[in-house]
Amino acid sequence: MIKEASNEMPANGRHYWKSLDDLAETPGFKSWVEREFPEGASMLEGVERRGFMKVMAASFGLAGLGFTGCRRPEQAILPYGKSPEELIPGVPSYYATSMPTAHGFLPLIAESHQGRPTKIEGNPSYLPGGGSTDSFAQASVLDLYDPDRAQGSFRKEITNKGDESSVRWKKISSTDSLAELSKWAKEGKLAILADSSFSKIRGQLAKELKDKKVIWSEFEAIDLRQPEISLSRALDQEPLRAIPKLDKASRVISLDCDFLGNREPNSLANARAFMAGRKVLKPTDAKKMNRLYSVESDLTITGGVADHRLRLDSSNFSAFAALLLAEVLKCLESKDNELIEHLLKRGKPALSDLDWVKACVKDFCSKPKKSVVLAGSHLPQDVQLACLAINRALGAIGKTIDYLPSSGNNHTTLTELLAAVENREVESLVIIGGNPVYSVGSSVDWKAILKKAKNSARVGYSIDETSRECDLHIGQSHYLESWDLGTTWDETSTVPVQPLIAPLFDTKSDLECLLAILGSDKSPHDLVKSMHEEIARSGNSFDDFLRLGIHKNAEPTKIDDVDDREALLKTESDGESKSSSGKLDVLLIPDFHSWDGRYANNGWMQECPDPISKLTWDNALLISPVLGLELEKKYPGLKLLPKATMLNEKGEVAPDTAVFESGKQKAPVVKLSLSDDQFIEGPLYVQPGLADRTIVASLGMGRRTTGRVGQGTGYDAYPLLGKDGDRIIEGVTCEPTGEYKILANVQEHWSMEGRAIVREANAEEYAENESFAQKMGAESHSPAIWGNEQSKDLAHKAKTTPRGNSAYEHPDHTHEKSDAFGLHQWGMAIDLNQCTGCSSCVVACQSENNIPVAGKDQVLRGREMHWIRLDRYFSSTKRDGAEIPSDVQVSFQGVACMHCETAPCESVCPVNATVHDEEGMNAMAYNRCVGTRYCANNCPYKVRRFNFFDWNKRDTDELYQGPLGEKNDSLPAMGKNPDVTVRMRGVMEKCTYCVQRVQESKIRVKVKAQRAGKLAGKDGADLTLEESDLKVPDGTIRTACQQVCPTDAIAFGDLSDPTSEVSKWKSNPRDYSVLGYLNTRPRTTFLAKVRNPNKNMPLHVDEPHSSREYHDKAHPVHHEEGHEAESHDNESSEEKH
Amino acid sequence: MRNIFPRWVNTVPIKLIIALGMTGGVVVAGITYYATPKYTRVGYQPTQPVSYDHEFHAGQLGLDCRYCHHSVDKSASAGIPSANVCMSCHKTIKANSPLLEPVRASYYGEDTDRDGNLSDNEDVNGDGILNRPSIPWLRIHKTPDYVYFNHAIHVNRGVSCVECHGRIDQMEEVYHSKSLSMAFCLECHRKPHDALRPMSEVTNLSWVHPAAPNDESSSANPHADLGIKDKWGVHPPLSCTGCHR
Repeated sequence: MIKEASNEMPANGRHYWKSLDDLAETPGFKSWVEREFPEGASMLEGVERRGFMKVMAASFGLAGLGFTGCRRPEQAILPYGKSPEELIPGVPSYYATSMPTAHGFLPLIAESHQGRPTKIEGNPSYLPGGGSTDSFAQASVLDLYDPDRAQGSFRKEITNKGDESSVRWKKISSTDSLAELSKWAKEGKLAILADSSFSKIRGQLAKELKDKKVIWSEFEAIDLRQPEISLSRALDQEPLRAIPKLDKASRVISLDCDFLGNREPNSLANARAFMAGRKVLKPTDAKKMNRLYSVESDLTITGGVADHRLRLDSSNFSAFAALLLAEVLKCLESKDNELIEHLLKRGKPALSDLDWVKACVKDFCSKPKKSVVLAGSHLPQDVQLACLAINRALGAIGKTIDYLPSSGNNHTTLTELLAAVENREVESLVIIGGNPVYSVGSSVDWKAILKKAKNSARVGYSIDETSRECDLHIGQSHYLESWDLGTTWDETSTVPVQPLIAPLFDTKSDLECLLAILGSDKSPHDLVKSMHEEIARSGNSFDDFLRLGIHKNAEPTKIDDVDDREALLKTESDGESKSSSGKLDVLLIPDFHSWDGRYANNGWMQECPDPISKLTWDNALLISPVLGLELEKKYPGLKLLPKATMLNEKGEVAPDTAVFESGKQKAPVVKLSLSDDQFIEGPLYVQPGLADRTIVASLGMGRRTTGRVGQGTGYDAYPLLGKDGDRIIEGVTCEPTGEYKILANVQEHWSMEGRAIVREANAEEYAENESFAQKMGAESHSPAIWGNEQSKDLAHKAKTTPRGNSAYEHPDHTHEKSDAFGLHQWGMAIDLNQCTGCSSCVVACQSENNIPVAGKDQVLRGREMHWIRLDRYFSSTKRDGAEIPSDVQVSFQGVACMHCETAPCESVCPVNATVHDEEGMNAMAYNRCVGTRYCANNCPYKVRRFNFFDWNKRDTDELYQGPLGEKNDSLPAMGKNPDVTVRMRGVMEKCTYCVQRVQESKIRVKVKAQRAGKLAGKDGADLTLEESDLKVPDGTIRTACQQVCPTDAIAFGDLSDPTSEVSKWKSNPRDYSVLGYLNTRPRTTFLAKVRNPNKNMPLHVDEPHSSREYHDKAHPVHHEEGHEAESHDNESSEEKH
Repeated sequence: MRNIFPRWVNTVPIKLIIALGMTGGVVVAGITYYATPKYTRVGYQPTQPVSYDHEFHAGQLGLDCRYCHHSVDKSASAGIPSANVCMSCHKTIKANSPLLEPVRASYYGEDTDRDGNLSDNEDVNGDGILNRPSIPWLRIHKTPDYVYFNHAIHVNRGVSCVECHGRIDQMEEVYHSKSLSMAFCLECHRKPHDALRPMSEVTNLSWVHPAAPNDESSSANPHADLGIKDKWGVHPPLSCTGCHR
């Protein structure tokens, strides 16, 4: 069915696309169909197209005026010529597929509206992921409709006009370009450079190609399989992949391993398993909580969850790991003194942290088989080895961590390949995926090398840095347009990549290119089918496989034991710590927004704030406050840190004009150089929680050739990348360039200032006092807002909105006088103890609710449009205000519209555009809104977003032109959710609790009840439906943020049903309302966070920093009972931003 | 100096005010009366590409609405039948009628010799797939983009097609018969019992309540409350979220 529906699309799309009739006729559509791909900049400016558009728009306008008359314009409904089976117009269909990533294939369910994929969800049949996805998978659907993707095949033409040579890309048909590839293959001396893949089909084709004497090489700039290769080198055996089983672990120590965030492989499964061990619902659970120790140089979201965090410079990890291993061996009473001696010698540079290590080791040696050590994938061989040795010593192998033999990368290396090209052993080079010219770094002169090859072709998703150096660019199909089959990272499952749509443009998948090179006439679909037969044998049929989207592999063989002693003894001492020598370490991390650069042209990812730094549209060189101070002293004109006081004598905010511009902090641009020709330039950003002398730079931004979104965002850190993909760079010097850059930071303020916004306690306190959260915040000082109805149950409170002690009348939601009443009462609870801060919810919400991308310029003005924002707070023991703290605890809080019972926004709307509905939702009627923005002013949670411009209609650089501006490409409109209004300029919007999903479910339940009644032969007055027949069962409706959440931190449901998940959460004593004393009675409440620190650790504090801050401010030493509540109120009612 | 302005000028301001007031009044009255969906929409009757006669098919032949609009009880949209639905009868009945040529063109598509096979010279774009052009039916009933009307819930809960579309079974060429304005929707959402009927009678456009006077010209409520509303627990949403998402 898919094949039929999709294959007809590109040629004669009209009759398949009921809502695309406009699209097919617009000049925008025509121009992107007909436009030849001009070279780089001119394409981006689109000068010719703009002129064309203006003329066309004018003529269309005139035509419209004259002839369509006063009635509305005629609109055609285009049904199928022959309707495909199973397709019901207006009802979305769902297909199982998967997304190829650098860490395996991610099993997905994709939603399709009449053939257009619009939303991605995780495949719940893949149990470790539990139906969750990461932000990249959520955003990948936008890539499909990226107007800047390569829309066919192009041949590079260089024309010389005098001195200047200009490059033009001439569009050719993809069939011709594939024919060319097969011609090259026949000529021989062909080499292929591909990105690494978990595709079984590609593996098979690669083997066949190698048999045909084709050189096959794989290259990944950020290679997540590096640890496997390191282990194989160290132990001189096959590569071993570590698969942690965190659900079995109660003590985890992470060595710079961001296993909860997207830097490390399989983060969804890891986050899900690990956070399940932190779920506390009753005080007795506190004892069962797992504990996380994190040693890191950057502050990651894993470090944010950690109960104990140690900041360590990147170059010290080898020593630290050795010390840790030595202490573990000692603690476990190992008799191998020679090894311990050797390790202690190697661990010398880390001795300053010995107390920390000892206390930590003692803790996890008390539960040896329930502990596990994880190392970041960028860490060197000896750390990986030490990590394996610790796990082995603890007896964790097979219990809390599995080591699977993996194939590793046994192909020709990039260096060998380049040498072969250099020696003219290769005549034709085909580069598939990846982007080596951008990501290999400056060590290779690609221009010269590719000149040596007679032919060069590039198979890529868009014209990028690598394409520019090749003669031929073949547009690559999106994964939602192609067939493939591969495995997940943990090798437990084989998953298909199933197309939901035929290629929108004349593009080919990587497999099709390889098949052309092989001269095979098979299609990728045939290969997938035969491969499945081979794998499944007597198992599921191919159709079932595609329906379920997953095939469970046979249990892979696991390694029980490894002899690591010899290898450990061989590791050499690093000598003294290098970071004391005045030079700095640089840690290169994959960027949050673009990973290694592959997602750089995705507006959703670019605008999704980095969870820790909260930067959008940019990456920065993150430095610690200590280093910041040092640089400030060294270069007095740097203007890195704002002056200590930001308030003047009158108490007004008086920003330091030298440091701030338009209210935003200016970031000084510095040059980090390793040598004269190896340097990067980027803006400095002081970040609490970083290791003192490590600068964190992210790879993947600062793309030179990409689409309109990714171009010019951030800086490129690849020039610093080590030759073997080494991501810890030592001995870097830093000097200011004298320039400044404004960074679009969505949350510059990082402290809660002692307000009880995120409420936290340590496990011990929680075990004694489970309702600690109730005693915090100003509402514990204010009169009880529920008055004498305090003790009534949730359903009663939700349905009747008792007046309590309020002086004002409260709205009556029972609608007793009218006919309407609320069968359900919707509410949400967010468990702050489960939230890791991964930000997938932000992107999922954007995708589900048609939220526009505002662009950096508008984000700088505070006009970002996200309906859910993830507030990040730092808290520390040092609270003197002047100094930015180094050791911080991180708290995250997702904030969306709270759907207040007594909503402040509703009472100020002059046109009743925002009102309550009978089921307790705070509704927003866009068509009624006149844009006064009073509601946003009056909202204490600052969750309302205003459409200052027609974001959906116009490009971000055309916004200020108003109606005269050029209209957007209409391609992205195809990805919009048809069940949600696309808002226009001048209206307010905000979280709706995914009302479209709620209504759909309600309708489905009612239709089902009616039909069941009719089937039973009852109709008219004979049929009686009870409330229970019409109520949506709990768990049916999942909001977009809830569905995507890997850790199930969000519950949504019916408050009037005491057995619903959300009611249970809300009856938990940890549940509290943010700013509850305002008597807004939000329907979204939070479950307080519980940390689980180890008492015996150095610098242990009895309560979380934020609670201490709160208690110090709420009850200062000279505090007298009863007087403080008032002043506290004033302070807390400040806007949160 | 003599008076510059003649005497009649004295009354000009008052006349002007009266004239402007009257013009304004007429404009306002005109807009409130005519620029409403009741006047802008009702009666809209475009000429369709195929002169399908609802009066004949649905009225005389008694074809059920759902035979062609088959997604009406499953989906938000009622669905316009694809050409194969028409052809299931018209392959044999009036198989060569020139009036049905657009339907045949849509059904056979690129298969120009209509033998059921796509030969190479027929395959215009060379994709090996039989492409079929759509019949461009003109949309008559349309809600604005921010209104999410769902056919399935109305039809299954006993609201007949006739409530919004009128007596389609008496229309040779379909026209817009009810205003479909927000007031129109709300009227029914406030008093649903007037519109509810047994599910089996939903597509019976000529149905009258057994208790009602058997006289269609009567302005009295044609089908008084059958008690369905309470028995089925029908509480149509009256707040924004019901229709606006």
